[in-house]
Amino acid sequence: MKRIVTIILAVSFLSGCVEMGTKQDAFPSMYGPQKPVAILVVPAINESTAADAGDLLNVTVSQPFTNMGYYVMPMPIVADIFRNEGIIEGTQIKGLPAELFKKNFGADAVMFMTIESWDKNYAVLAGNVTVGIEYVLLSTTSNEILWSYEQTVVVDTSGGSGNIFADIIATAISTGMTDYASVARQVHAQAVTAMPFGKYHPRNGADGLDKSVVLAAKESAIAED
Amino acid sequence: MKIRIIAIATALVVLSGCASQVTEAGYYWGNYANTLYVYAKEPSDETLAKHVEELNDIIVESNERELKVPPGIYAELGYIEAKTGDDAAALAHYEAEMSLYPESRIFLERLTADQK
Repeated sequence: MKRIVTIILAVSFLSGCVEMGTKQDAFPSMYGPQKPVAILVVPAINESTAADAGDLLNVTVSQPFTNMGYYVMPMPIVADIFRNEGIIEGTQIKGLPAELFKKNFGADAVMFMTIESWDKNYAVLAGNVTVGIEYVLLSTTSNEILWSYEQTVVVDTSGGSGNIFADIIATAISTGMTDYASVARQVHAQAVTAMPFGKYHPRNGADGLDKSVVLAAKESAIAED
Repeated sequence: MKIRIIAIATALVVLSGCASQVTEAGYYWGNYANTLYVYAKEPSDETLAKHVEELNDIIVESNERELKVPPGIYAELGYIEAKTGDDAAALAHYEAEMSLYPESRIFLERLTADQK
């Protein structure tokens, strides 16, 4: 069922009839006093069948969000700290009061990532990978959701699709080492287009009217929590 | 055919040539994403050394171009140094991170206390 919704989303996105909203209307808290500077990304929650998808996400997430103008707590260090505490994925943290992360890490917000799908699928199309990731950014002072997004990317791995970006990914996958990290980066890159810019970006506070938020992507992320 | 060639060429540029790119926020990342990923996937002295080399290179290159060193680079370097027992170098790098990005202070001071 979820897959069907995903495909419908993808199709309607391609055909251009998706309802878009501005960043400020979609995420008003990101334009007020609760706007975070320091973000702690906790280890991804993996609900997919791809065992190493969580690690891929963790290792690729800092850069895109840092480039949006935030201070993302250094992931390699954070991952070590959580590992030492016996925490390997975000589910173990989800119930904890978010203010703990203010006290211990100085984080203004905590970001949870859930991998909902990371499937190779040869039935629907010739060959593709469907990757769906849900992001939820929680304030550590109010526990309020500041930003949420569900990003789904269907990557064609059959090659030669005529879509230059899909071909780049396909090429990356066939080169081995970079393989699925490129897919993870692609998902992050699309998700952050709906993220308001942060303190260290030159357009901080000046992007409220950017109409780059797919409203359904915001709603579906919130609905599941 | 033509499109395929362009796509491959673009992919190569994206994968290899981003070394000279500076992001909108003004950060130079060099080959960071790749060396970190390789190290995370296959941790060894060799992959770690490569990543450390990249971190140092980002600092040198950022300074040469008069850019701010990206968030986390000094901290990561300091963390690796602390693990190998080079406390003085670690502290110096934590200090550099905190002065560039004050919001890292609580985290790094706690980390320093825990690593002692």
